[in-house]
Amino acid sequence: MESSDGEAVDKRRVHLRPVTLRDPAPILLHLLPCEVLVNRPAPVGLFFTPAIRQGPDGLEVSFRGRSLRGEEVVVPPGLVGYVMTEEKGEVLLGKQDFSEGLEDDEQEERELVEPPEALERDFDRFIGATASFSSFTLWGLETIPGPDAKVRGALTWPSLAAAIHTQVPED
Amino acid sequence: MAAGVDCGEGASARQHVFLVPDTACFYRLTDCGNSALEYLKDASKKMKSGLMFVKLVNPCSGEGAIYLFNVCLPQLFEIKVFKEKNHSWFINESVQSGGLLHFATPMDPLFLLLHYLIKADREGKFQPLEQVVMDDMFPNCILLLKLPELEKLLRHVTEEKEIDKKKYYKYSKEKTLKWLEKKVNQTMAALKTNNINVGARVQSTAFFSGDPVSSDKEEDYICYAHGLISDYIPKELSDDLSKYLKLPEPPASVPNPPSKKVKLSDEPVEAKEDYTKFNTKDLKTVKKNSKMTAAQKALAKVDKSGMKSIDSFFGAKHVKKIGKI
Repeated sequence: MESSDGEAVDKRRVHLRPVTLRDPAPILLHLLPCEVLVNRPAPVGLFFTPAIRQGPDGLEVSFRGRSLRGEEVVVPPGLVGYVMTEEKGEVLLGKQDFSEGLEDDEQEERELVEPPEALERDFDRFIGATASFSSFTLWGLETIPGPDAKVRGALTWPSLAAAIHTQVPED
Repeated sequence: MAAGVDCGEGASARQHVFLVPDTACFYRLTDCGNSALEYLKDASKKMKSGLMFVKLVNPCSGEGAIYLFNVCLPQLFEIKVFKEKNHSWFINESVQSGGLLHFATPMDPLFLLLHYLIKADREGKFQPLEQVVMDDMFPNCILLLKLPELEKLLRHVTEEKEIDKKKYYKYSKEKTLKWLEKKVNQTMAALKTNNINVGARVQSTAFFSGDPVSSDKEEDYICYAHGLISDYIPKELSDDLSKYLKLPEPPASVPNPPSKKVKLSDEPVEAKEDYTKFNTKDLKTVKKNSKMTAAQKALAKVDKSGMKSIDSFFGAKHVKKIGKI
């Protein structure tokens, strides 16, 4: 608003809070073979997780009356999983001077970062890692997703991307 | 954005599931040199951290795409989204619709610079880089000028002149094709080491030989690699590269190019619509064609669904606001 070049620019920026990447709590993730049209808290640990059984060929659970078969998918080496969440009331949340105290105690950092301070622009947005994971449970409807699961193919993308984007040697 | 998803009672913020490089390059912000800090202070007092998602041009389509930029290093990361229909996440004690999986991977910035160099070449003259990398649509492109070793990179695709210690650049198609050939070759090598089944005609050969995996030929690898690289360059250049590499006329079954044919840069709206149509079409083909490898299916999916879903980063706030009123 106040600046000439800034508005269009900053409108298109979502800042990722670096300190949140340092060691967010590891969590359990399940990739379900069905659409659930809400984003909200759910008592997963009360109803879903306790019902998981180790069957003869993998994990078994029943969800919405359907039988699911699951298996653990480990995040490939060289990668780490994060769950990132946009901060609520993002428009007024604090500014972060990342030059301070990244080496210090992490608790302290969070305290430094979290207190909201007024921003000079109202359209900056922030996102932060709220959790981390090194594997997730992949579920298939009635059958084990297996090695042909699409998501397993997708997990090879980073190594391919590395080949595409590595600098080529000069002549 | 999935309308209505956010408005249930107890609805919480959208959670994005990401896979990022587990390397110092992603985290080590404490190493921020003075220059980067100075840059932050000088160029934009508005930046709040070294890592940010920004919208820059997609060098293939000319449309916008989301990238992650680490200002401290500085380094550019490409964001791609894997989306499979009818999937959702349970994330700890919550449910997240969509089942999207985001990937952040290091990106060669030269693909983006090349987009601007080709555009600037219409002037037909040598220009300083900051005059070339300008964009009203995606003003964040100036971040690219801060990337390291630009001069070295630019040698791959430009002729340069130095006047009064200032460098001036001009796009060189000849050099660019050489550079792209190297890119295709190193991508081919990776396809082979990763054992990715690239057979463009896997479907038909499967009927006859019953052994699609062994049917991968050198030609299939190079076509596939060309297809992957073509995702980062304009269509015209992709065609030129195809001729330069003496590839056969692209058959309809090459995984990537079909989507590009409909993406005409001067018809963004229509192109976008076609784009989506192709998405669904591809999805169906993929489903029927069980002979395609998981990697192929996933990559086809990754490449094509990316931009749309990624826009939720930037679209969300607006949508929410309207929703609340």
